[in-house]
Amino acid sequence: MNEASGPAYAELHCLSNFTFLRGASHPQELIARAAELGYTALALTDECSLSGVVRAHVAAKERGVKLIIGSELTLECGLALVVLATDRHGYGRLCRLITRGRRAAAKGGYRLTRNDLTETLAHCLILWLPGEAPRAEEARWLAAHFPGEVWIAVELLRGGADRERLAALAHLARAMGLPQVASGEVHMHVRSRRKLQDALTAIRLNMPIAEVAGALHPNGERYLRERGRLAKLYPPQLLEATVQIAQRCTFSLDELRYEYPSELVPPGQTPASHLRRLTEAGARRRWPRGVPPLERAALEHELEVIAELGYEPYFLTVHDLVAFARSRGILCQGRGSAANSRVCYCLGVSAVDPERGAGLLFERFISKERNEPPDIDIDFEHERREEVIQYVYGKYGRERAALAATVILYRARSALRDLGKAFGLDPDACARLAKALQGWDGVERWPERLAAARFDPSGAVLSRLLPLAQTLLAFPGFPRHLSQHVGGLVISAGRLDELVPIENAAMPERTVVQWDKDDLNALGLLKVDVLALGMLSALRRAFDLVNELRGTRWALGTLPAEDPAVYAMISEADTVGVFQIESRAQMAMLPRLRPQCYYDLIIEVAIVRPGPIQGDMVHPYLRRRQALEPVHYPSPQVEAVLRRTLGVPIFQEQVMQLAVVAAGFTPGEADQLRRAMGAWKRSGGIGHLREKLLGGMAARGYPPQFAERIYRQMLGFGDYGFPLSHAASFALLVYDSAWLKHYEPAAFTAALLNSQPMGFYAPAQLVRDARAHGVEVRPVDVCASDWDCTLEPEGGGQPALRLGLRLVRGLSQAGAARLLAARTGSGFTGVQDLARRAGLDRGDLEALAAAGAFAALSGNRHFAFWDVAGTQKPLPIERVVRGHGEPAPLLSAPTEGETLVADYASVGLTLGRHPLALLRPALRKAGLCTAGDITALPDGSAVCTAGIVLMRQRPTAAGGVTFVTLEDESGQVNIIVWARVGDVCREALVSSRLLEVRGRLQRQDGVAHIIARRLRDRTALLGALLTRSRDFH
Amino acid sequence: MRARRTIDLFARGDERPSVRLEQSLPTRGHERASRAGERLPRPAAPQPQVARGNGIPPPAGGAARAAPTELWLGLHLAGAAGQCAPQGLQRLAMRALRFTPRVSLVPPDGLLLEVHASLRLFGGVEGLQHALRRECADLAIAGSLAFAPTPLAALAAARGECVLVLQDAARLIGSLAPLPLRVLRWPQEVLDRLASIGVRTIGQVLRLPRAGFAQRFGATRLADLDRLTGRAPDPRERFEAPVRFRCRRELPCESASHGQLTAALAPLIEALGRFLEARQCGVLALECRLWHRHAEPTRCVLRLVDPLADAARLTELLGERLRMLTLPEPAHTCELRAGEPVPRALCSSGLWQSGEHGGLPEARGSAFIERLRARLGPEAVQGLAVVPDHRPEAAWRVTEPGACAPSAIASGDFAAARPLWLLPVPRPLRQRGGLPRHRGALRLESEPERIETGWWDGHDIERDYYEAVDVYGRRLWLFRERAAPHRWFLQGVFA
Repeated sequence: MNEASGPAYAELHCLSNFTFLRGASHPQELIARAAELGYTALALTDECSLSGVVRAHVAAKERGVKLIIGSELTLECGLALVVLATDRHGYGRLCRLITRGRRAAAKGGYRLTRNDLTETLAHCLILWLPGEAPRAEEARWLAAHFPGEVWIAVELLRGGADRERLAALAHLARAMGLPQVASGEVHMHVRSRRKLQDALTAIRLNMPIAEVAGALHPNGERYLRERGRLAKLYPPQLLEATVQIAQRCTFSLDELRYEYPSELVPPGQTPASHLRRLTEAGARRRWPRGVPPLERAALEHELEVIAELGYEPYFLTVHDLVAFARSRGILCQGRGSAANSRVCYCLGVSAVDPERGAGLLFERFISKERNEPPDIDIDFEHERREEVIQYVYGKYGRERAALAATVILYRARSALRDLGKAFGLDPDACARLAKALQGWDGVERWPERLAAARFDPSGAVLSRLLPLAQTLLAFPGFPRHLSQHVGGLVISAGRLDELVPIENAAMPERTVVQWDKDDLNALGLLKVDVLALGMLSALRRAFDLVNELRGTRWALGTLPAEDPAVYAMISEADTVGVFQIESRAQMAMLPRLRPQCYYDLIIEVAIVRPGPIQGDMVHPYLRRRQALEPVHYPSPQVEAVLRRTLGVPIFQEQVMQLAVVAAGFTPGEADQLRRAMGAWKRSGGIGHLREKLLGGMAARGYPPQFAERIYRQMLGFGDYGFPLSHAASFALLVYDSAWLKHYEPAAFTAALLNSQPMGFYAPAQLVRDARAHGVEVRPVDVCASDWDCTLEPEGGGQPALRLGLRLVRGLSQAGAARLLAARTGSGFTGVQDLARRAGLDRGDLEALAAAGAFAALSGNRHFAFWDVAGTQKPLPIERVVRGHGEPAPLLSAPTEGETLVADYASVGLTLGRHPLALLRPALRKAGLCTAGDITALPDGSAVCTAGIVLMRQRPTAAGGVTFVTLEDESGQVNIIVWARVGDVCREALVSSRLLEVRGRLQRQDGVAHIIARRLRDRTALLGALLTRSRDFH
Repeated sequence: MRARRTIDLFARGDERPSVRLEQSLPTRGHERASRAGERLPRPAAPQPQVARGNGIPPPAGGAARAAPTELWLGLHLAGAAGQCAPQGLQRLAMRALRFTPRVSLVPPDGLLLEVHASLRLFGGVEGLQHALRRECADLAIAGSLAFAPTPLAALAAARGECVLVLQDAARLIGSLAPLPLRVLRWPQEVLDRLASIGVRTIGQVLRLPRAGFAQRFGATRLADLDRLTGRAPDPRERFEAPVRFRCRRELPCESASHGQLTAALAPLIEALGRFLEARQCGVLALECRLWHRHAEPTRCVLRLVDPLADAARLTELLGERLRMLTLPEPAHTCELRAGEPVPRALCSSGLWQSGEHGGLPEARGSAFIERLRARLGPEAVQGLAVVPDHRPEAAWRVTEPGACAPSAIASGDFAAARPLWLLPVPRPLRQRGGLPRHRGALRLESEPERIETGWWDGHDIERDYYEAVDVYGRRLWLFRERAAPHRWFLQGVFA
């Protein structure tokens, strides 16, 4: 039998995997299968959700399948139904109904009543799902409230009593005067997903499969069945009814018309005139001596394009956010492609001077051909971003503004943990399994990994579990739940909840639309990314500290530009704490690239990225920069594009421009090319663009090798190349933070410490670095510390840095506030006095004692704890009696090792000696040298050292190589662990805190690495020393 | 008539009539050992037998101050955190009674003996040490021991594996000083707090000011220290050997008759009833042994669902059990051995009858099951429980009778019909023309019920089930495998 033959049929009840942990197939799979089976239409009816519809819509357009949008709902009273939208109005009502249900319940759930249904629904069709024991009352109620719009869904799933059920429902239908329709309660596109569906059920019920066996579907009939099969099960008129219903549902997502909010335009103005006014005002600020003619022309061009595409409200919206943030003193700066726009520059959204970042390309930002909304990302201080988000909710209301969603997909770890539980593995085994297959490895290496972790991949459980895990991890990723996007805000002119359902996020005061950013993009909805950037918080704090100390008025972008001393420091890779270029890979590049100006910083930021590294652009650039290799250009046009990067394309914009000047692309086509570059790995094709690119270059007389190389480099970019605009925005922050580090290291370090957690380094490294730069760091002290780290002026030079109470682990902020308030009067006479006046509880007191903060009152930690233990809740009489006259106890002083362990445990850093200094005699005996010793060794020497693991990095671009940074009392050492060695010494590599490395020293351009040959876990030596590595994947 | 020798207090053949109470351990393991005829160690001859029940109260460990004449032996069982610890400790305590009547348990892993008076008898400290080590080795228990003037010090030293033999109270503190504080078994939180002031040994803690210490760490900790150093008395509760019922009598004449045997057992059971009643306990297992002239003794074991102490019920149940026995030859002596007494819920006669409002519904059912099991053997009566699983063969399992309420079985929520009689294993059917045959042609009566499930435990099934009628009119439950070669099987028969 041909599977695509049979009577016409439309499936009207179908769940995708966006009905989390019920549906077992992607919307795209369902659409594709429906197309293969020749269905007339497919309704995607995820339970109280439209999260999957945009994907389905895109796929349905490709496959030429009619998509109907609907939702399965179960009301509080137990009434279950499928609602299908017939037209735009009905769709809006369905969105509102879902919003209502979702907003009334906690994240992940929904709550709807019959009232909600009657008050909200219109222009929708209803399929009543009668359940095991049909209740006539439900049918009667539906028939009465939605006349002519209700069908009885007859779902025959070979339960053994299909004939009886058919007869019973037919009887009911006659009695109620309701028509019947066939549907299939589809949970998967093919029946082979049955096992996954069962496993998902077990995960949803949070029990092992064997224990929920009765709750599973008895068979795998809930799939998209061939029409021939359906014809054998259902009377023809029931199948015919599906087609009739499908014909009544004419709505398509293409009908959605998104409108930008318009209230930002003052009366009497048009959006265009208002934007022009704001832009002109900004231009006068940016170019006080008049706009240069070139920029003027570019501005006019931009305004023209914006007007033509009607994007003015978008720019006004973004301007409004930025203006709000500025009015509150919140630092913000645009990132990404917005820096390509002079309008954004004038509006203060972007800070990149178009003249300094030559080569910015407006088409990268907006193009007429693309007709897609521009995408503006703005960074705000990470601790104050919430104010901006709440401002938006306040201004536009919750029906008009919400955050974009992020679909959380199954990762190796979560998939194995959930499946392991479903298979009844004990939590310990689940954890071991997940750990064995940590995200670092691809699926093909699992058997090997499992064997190493003493699992048998062919064993009874794993042989069944692993194929399911692979399905969960296969492209495009199996959704697990919906979460909120990091900062994408969606704002609309009319009711947003008629465009897309809105639900509660896990965080209070946040609401989220049911679509993610790709969905929003696909439908052309406006999104502003309100992002959080720790460095902005740190910079604001550093400016505040410096301005107060020195009486200056420094601010973002006002520091003296192009200071050679700052660049000298950067070139030495002395950049701990500096934005972006503090990472290990950046530090390894700095001495080779030796940035001398702002543009070099842009290149530095952009070049240490997987894209340029994979596209093999780093080494040619470095060689040409060091004049080891001649630079030549195949044509003047190409030279114009690539001159500033010495003939090597480093930025996305350059690739686009090359396509324009060398291959004859229009700017819009070039942008398509960029998008294809980003997506080629996933959707697997820039083939057609390749033809065009190579053909166009050949036609313009470029040699084929050159064309091929450019093409290869484009592939390398993928998602991992920075656009120039983005790098240029970031480079501004790089310079500002480097300047502060160079001239005001104490203030800079204090600001970084006060903005933790952020950046690459933990407080211990930041403080160590500051002390290495001559900053005096003073310990936490209840008599001197504030909540934040502060500066204690020392004449005109660098002030001392006083560590703040915020570093004290376990100290409550409220307790600290009371302590500070109590201190304003007179000083404390002792711990008891302090505890009483500040009203601190035992927990806070012990936290302070553990931090050594009572040194001024008690002496060493032992006495501090004795004193703390002696404090009591003050009783009226005791207050008078107690406190004096107690004999001093005989307590030994803590040893250096004890103090050090206590320092790390409480404050996370020590001002005493480095832990390895204490272990050095033992390490020397074991033949291990220090980081300091290594600096004196020549290239190629055999080395053997040990250090505390500061971080491990395993960049995806590096092909299984792990980079490890070790630290000892004399400095840091960088280790390169090749995949082969990493495999052999995996345990040591993954879990050591103190790691011993044997290997060979490699020295190049002043950068030293050890190529590891053997690793050994030496953590035991540390004893109770608490250090934590920061792992980056 | 001969005087009944129903009661027998002493271990071996003493003439005085009394209940012989066996010293034993309240554990299963021992129960088995004891049945197998293994003897427990008896106190050695010169030691006075320990008085039980309401015996002499143990002399308090000193009135105001530990008497200088006390010497404590502390024994710490290594690796005793495991489950077998209490058992090992009890057994060791039983043996330790040989050396002194003043034995105390410090569960889970400590044992204290006051040995001052026994020193001379057992060859001094050396001799005692030696003897106890031997007992430990005998029981395969690893332990460390120490002697000190206070019980806590002896125990602490033993825990600290400090070889301390100290009879002189004056040197006590100095000897204890290097011991780590953990030997005092204070809560970890207290130890952590002490560690935070740099105090980690007994010596360091004893140097702290008393008042300050008590205020910070509690008066009970200070009291611990005082008991440790002998500043305060440390009375210890005395270890008492547990008891178990065992009673034997000779029959008036050799007999194999059920009636005579029951009659002979009746007073034993009554004694057992009184024994249990007095302790507010019941038994879960009861063994009756019958001795013959030539043959091996016959053993008859009764197992109960709930702890029982009612003599009438026991007589009845044991009678049922005996009725099933065939004796190799007449018996001359009978013996009753009860398992370990377990606490039982005391019940009084209710106002309401079973099944009535407020009555206890299960009482009757459980009695009936007990009688059935007594008569047919425990294995012959089993319960059934429904397991929620779509696979017919996995949808039920055998349970203890009464473990699953019948209503739960009746309400198995299956839409489709299931036969009550399922074959243990589906039986393959011959087929002709794709249709199954079973003693002739079968007529398929129903539409197929599709069951596809069970893949997770390796018993994946993919079947279409049918009801069929055979030529005799019996309704059968068949299935056809969905996978080629589409074989037919018989799964069950409808009643």
